[in-house]
Amino acid sequence: MLKRDNQFVLQTETEAPGFRVELRGTTFRLIASGAWTISEAAVLDEELKRLKVPIPPSSEFTGEMDISGIAEIDTSGAWLLQRTAGAWQRGGLKTRYAGATDSFRILIEEVHRRGQGELPEIDEVSPFQQFVETTKKSASSIWQDTIALTSFLGEVTVAAARAVREPWRFRPISFIHHLDYAGLRALPIIFLICFLIGAVVMQQGVVQLSYFGAEVMAVNMVAILSLREVGILLTSIMVAGRSGSAFTAEIGSMKMREEIDAMRTLGIDPMDTLVLPRVAALIVALPLLTFMGDIAALVGGGVMAWVMLGLDPPLYIDKLQEIVSFRHFMVGMIKAPFAAIIIALVGCLEGLRVQGSAESLGTHVTAAVVKAIFLVICIDGIFAMFLAGIGQ
Amino acid sequence: MIVEDGQEIVIRVRGLAKSFGSHQIWESLDLDVFRGEILAIVGGSGQGKSVLMRVITGLVEPDNGVVTLFGQEEQTLSAEARLEIEKRWGILFQDGALFSSLTVLQNIQVPMREHLNLPQSMMDDLAFLKLSMVGLRPEAAHKYPSELSGGMRKRAGLARALALDPEIVFLDEPTAGLDPIGASEFDHLIRKLQQTLGLTVYMVTHDLDTIFTVCDRVAVLADQKIVRTGSPAELQSKPDHPWIEEYFCGERARAASPAEERRVVS
Repeated sequence: MLKRDNQFVLQTETEAPGFRVELRGTTFRLIASGAWTISEAAVLDEELKRLKVPIPPSSEFTGEMDISGIAEIDTSGAWLLQRTAGAWQRGGLKTRYAGATDSFRILIEEVHRRGQGELPEIDEVSPFQQFVETTKKSASSIWQDTIALTSFLGEVTVAAARAVREPWRFRPISFIHHLDYAGLRALPIIFLICFLIGAVVMQQGVVQLSYFGAEVMAVNMVAILSLREVGILLTSIMVAGRSGSAFTAEIGSMKMREEIDAMRTLGIDPMDTLVLPRVAALIVALPLLTFMGDIAALVGGGVMAWVMLGLDPPLYIDKLQEIVSFRHFMVGMIKAPFAAIIIALVGCLEGLRVQGSAESLGTHVTAAVVKAIFLVICIDGIFAMFLAGIGQ
Repeated sequence: MIVEDGQEIVIRVRGLAKSFGSHQIWESLDLDVFRGEILAIVGGSGQGKSVLMRVITGLVEPDNGVVTLFGQEEQTLSAEARLEIEKRWGILFQDGALFSSLTVLQNIQVPMREHLNLPQSMMDDLAFLKLSMVGLRPEAAHKYPSELSGGMRKRAGLARALALDPEIVFLDEPTAGLDPIGASEFDHLIRKLQQTLGLTVYMVTHDLDTIFTVCDRVAVLADQKIVRTGSPAELQSKPDHPWIEEYFCGERARAASPAEERRVVS
């Protein structure tokens, strides 16, 4: 903000900003006063917009911006003056400034010079067109994602084959670290969730089946359901939310800070150091976690059976042995490594797709979790059809 | 308002002390910043140049001492008074600190949107004007910070700092990470803006070229306080302190200093 004189004013009160227009002789004068600063700009803008450009009756009429009454001015004030002067000028009135100090003039000239260019327009798109565009984009992104995920699976397979041939490429410490984080530390939450779901399913089952007098069949339902579907699905969803997102965030923030580029230039393959240990760790961890999830669901169901049916633990275990065969257990377990591969691949791939900004990191973490859960459920459906087809 | 020797003091720091753990940065630091000057803060690394800026702008709490801004003691300010003062300064952080989810134009409009109630069309025009004043091309307006080069990010950050036409701008290493041509352009930009807008500039810098071309006064941080202040030429001709001597009379300083250049020519 520029003050009229470089003397400091001990009293900081300045006149209220404003202006009036008068015609003296053949000159239209805009007499401005007070502080023309950004805090007053909204009011001034409003009033200046209401001001009509004076129509000169003949060509000898001129305009004048008398700013000798202005005590303080800043860029926005200068811009407002300049806008008004420009409008007068275009209206056929030669307009000049009067009463400007040196510093005021420098500012006004600078604003005049800088204000020449036009603000580039953003292309306005109609909402309908926007809708069509987004639909097109998301449809094609499904296809692109499929291709990207497939080729990434190929790359990881090649890297894994290479690691088998040249075992020194594999990073055991990183593998153990992720096994700890994605596996061991996920155990309590997975145990708790599966336990609760097992109990809830048992309770609902008992209530519904009691209409047929077949309450005991609820045990069959819980046992088969937990082993074949609930254990693996809940575990995968939890791991996707917990570890899939962590993979994306870790790799993505490394990508943001160019650490991955640095690795490549140092001759380190990010596939070996970042992706492979994570994929391997999940392939080991997820079946183990699924096993624990199965047990937890059965225990939860057992507790509820005891409470609601009076089925004490030895009886419950006997009943389980009668109902459950090894193939039910295997149907659930066989899906675990596939779910693990999907979660790890989607997590790592989305991480590598992160661009410079923090916002992009957020978008990709969300995408990783959503895609991983969606694909895990798809795979589960495919397995269900396949296993039904072969009579399991 | 504090006036001394016919000059208004916009920032006055008295008896500032700060330590991090067992590491004492300053014991008793005094500093005055006059209206309309370009002041450079120099000092070796770990002397707390950036911390001093953060203390003055209220981001870091000092252990002891008083900071007076525009004649008001910072520690005693109410929330409203503080907000009023925040409107009167602009800060350029080292890498611009632009909000990455907003375009450059939106970034410049953030302070206007927060503090004032202006119509959108006016904010667009003013932001565009600021953009042009810091020497960015109009095409940059709708870009996101991640799509800009380092120099452009600094300029955009400066445009945001100038959004409310502040009285003081704080610049944290404005020329760090710029090539010599870009740095020299930035120096001239600072000088030009300072003259056009009547700014007071407080900058933390290492750049000897910047100090010799644009700065009116230099304050040297050493031995846990400001050991000396003075114009670059004064400090060079009478260093009086080993660090100042090394800094202003070393090999790099001789290359940057205009006085030395003249001597070589004549």
